Amino acid sequence: MMKHTAYLKLPVVILVSGFTILASFFWFRTSQASERNQQTEEYCLSCHSNPELEMTLPSGEVLPLYVNPEKLPESVHSPNGIECEACHTEITTYPHPPIEYETRRELSRSYYAACQKCHPDNYTKTLDSMHAQAAEAGNLDAPVCTDCHGTHYIQPPDEPRTLIPSTCGNCHTTEYSVYQSSIHGNALVQESNPDVPVCTTCHGVHNIQDPTTQQFRIDEPDLCASCHADPEMMSKYGLSADVYSLYNLSWHGVDVSVYEARWPTIQHQSAICTDCHGIHDILSPDDPNSSVNPANLLVTCQKCHPGVGPNWTGAWTGHYEVSLERTPFLYYVDLFYTYFAPAVLWACGIYVALQFIRFMADRARRSL
Amino acid sequence: MTSQSVPTPPSPANNVKLVRTFPRFSVSQRWEHALLLLSIAILLLTGLPQKYNTSTWSQAIISTPERLYIIQQVHHIAALLLTALVIYHLGNALSLIFRRKLPGDILPTGQDIKDAWNMLLYLIFIKKQKPAFGKYNFEQKVTYWFLFFSISIMGISGYVMWFPEAVTRILPGGVIPAAIMAHSTEAIVTLIFIVLWHFYHVHLERLNLSIFSGWLNEEDMHTYHSLEY
Repeated sequence: MMKHTAYLKLPVVILVSGFTILASFFWFRTSQASERNQQTEEYCLSCHSNPELEMTLPSGEVLPLYVNPEKLPESVHSPNGIECEACHTEITTYPHPPIEYETRRELSRSYYAACQKCHPDNYTKTLDSMHAQAAEAGNLDAPVCTDCHGTHYIQPPDEPRTLIPSTCGNCHTTEYSVYQSSIHGNALVQESNPDVPVCTTCHGVHNIQDPTTQQFRIDEPDLCASCHADPEMMSKYGLSADVYSLYNLSWHGVDVSVYEARWPTIQHQSAICTDCHGIHDILSPDDPNSSVNPANLLVTCQKCHPGVGPNWTGAWTGHYEVSLERTPFLYYVDLFYTYFAPAVLWACGIYVALQFIRFMADRARRSL
Repeated sequence: MTSQSVPTPPSPANNVKLVRTFPRFSVSQRWEHALLLLSIAILLLTGLPQKYNTSTWSQAIISTPERLYIIQQVHHIAALLLTALVIYHLGNALSLIFRRKLPGDILPTGQDIKDAWNMLLYLIFIKKQKPAFGKYNFEQKVTYWFLFFSISIMGISGYVMWFPEAVTRILPGGVIPAAIMAHSTEAIVTLIFIVLWHFYHVHLERLNLSIFSGWLNEEDMHTYHSLEY
């Protein structure tokens, strides 16, 4: 009986003990990781939490060595167990090996390569960017990862969204202040608008390209269209989502589409969105300062069409459907050809077909 | 073969047949037609690739911006040729009117409407006989006046597109998009008209080369222009 009971209990014992071993294994692993995390940070912070800790580099620059122990746990890395030595790979013990950088900038430009270990895609993208090109050309102030994202206290870069333009604005001060007064920038700051473009919407994020190239110019209408041809988004603001498709039918739009399809790298003169609406300074057409406000439109046209008279602006139909009120000449020409073209086609076709049938019938009758 | 009325002297051999010819177009009219044909052909060949810019055949022709520039220049030169032709034609007509020597053959008359109606009845097998025509039948008058209208539209709209800055000094800006649409659409209407109507009548119905040779033979004269004959 006893034997029998023990025999019955055996699988239960194995299951329970196996589960306990497995559970303890997980418990052991997590506890060990968090312990080590805390240990490393605590160990480093035992010195580096001193606000007066600093050293002087050979260039004479002072390198602060202080790490704020309150802010550090709020970064994206620390709570995820990514610790000091993840980036400071050469420092494993105390005393530290000597710092061999001449300047602070040299140090930053060397240290940021550590980002590559965990963020290889974004790191590779930056190598293709305008900023990398500037660095290659000798401008060592060209930003690296840490210049935009920060170092010890890295936070999500787009929370809040206003952070993006202000980050770019650290260097691009003129563009930033112009953007802030534009309809897009103003809506971002005043209304926390989630739809308006920020710098990265148009320029890209890590692989930011030169916006003065022909390729950028030729792609630009499509860029604007990614929002302005979206009926759902435009209806929220009472804007027309047809501006792009109608532009594509206009003289400028046809010209641009030919270049886009065939010669994207060749300089063309036809107006794209930004030529009339502005770039960072885009305003609502109702704004008296807008370059496309009816009061300013002629001057805007004259940038490319010097010396044209005041009637010239009436030639622009690029964002409007054909209508009797706005474009009466076009309306009547359109109306005329709506009937005239098919009428000519059918009249000629039917008349000639009848003539041919009669001719063949006569011929057949004669040969009988 | 129908026997021809043979004027004296009689032919030396019986198998030789004399063909009477009837003058139809003057040398200057034949030149006008040749230059008109040339200029319209060039205008269509250089205009259509610009209109149908998204098609592959157009992209084969306009392969570089330089070619586009050349094609536009050729289009402008052909337009100038056509303009010169129109000015000559109208000037000539005005001078003939002034001297009261304008032959009225091409002017539309009430008879043309009757002819068209009778022709239609003939074509739908109600009448047995075609109506008899004079020097220019109503089909030829339609050809002339349709192209007169087409060339006017194409010319006016073409110059509006060529010199938009100057045009908008006088006319409202709205005429420019209207001219673009008219030029583009009228070109196609004209092309359809020439191919269907004109080519049928001068190539398929019968090969009528009188605009190049200047004359018609007796049989054609008898068949198609019995009133004049």
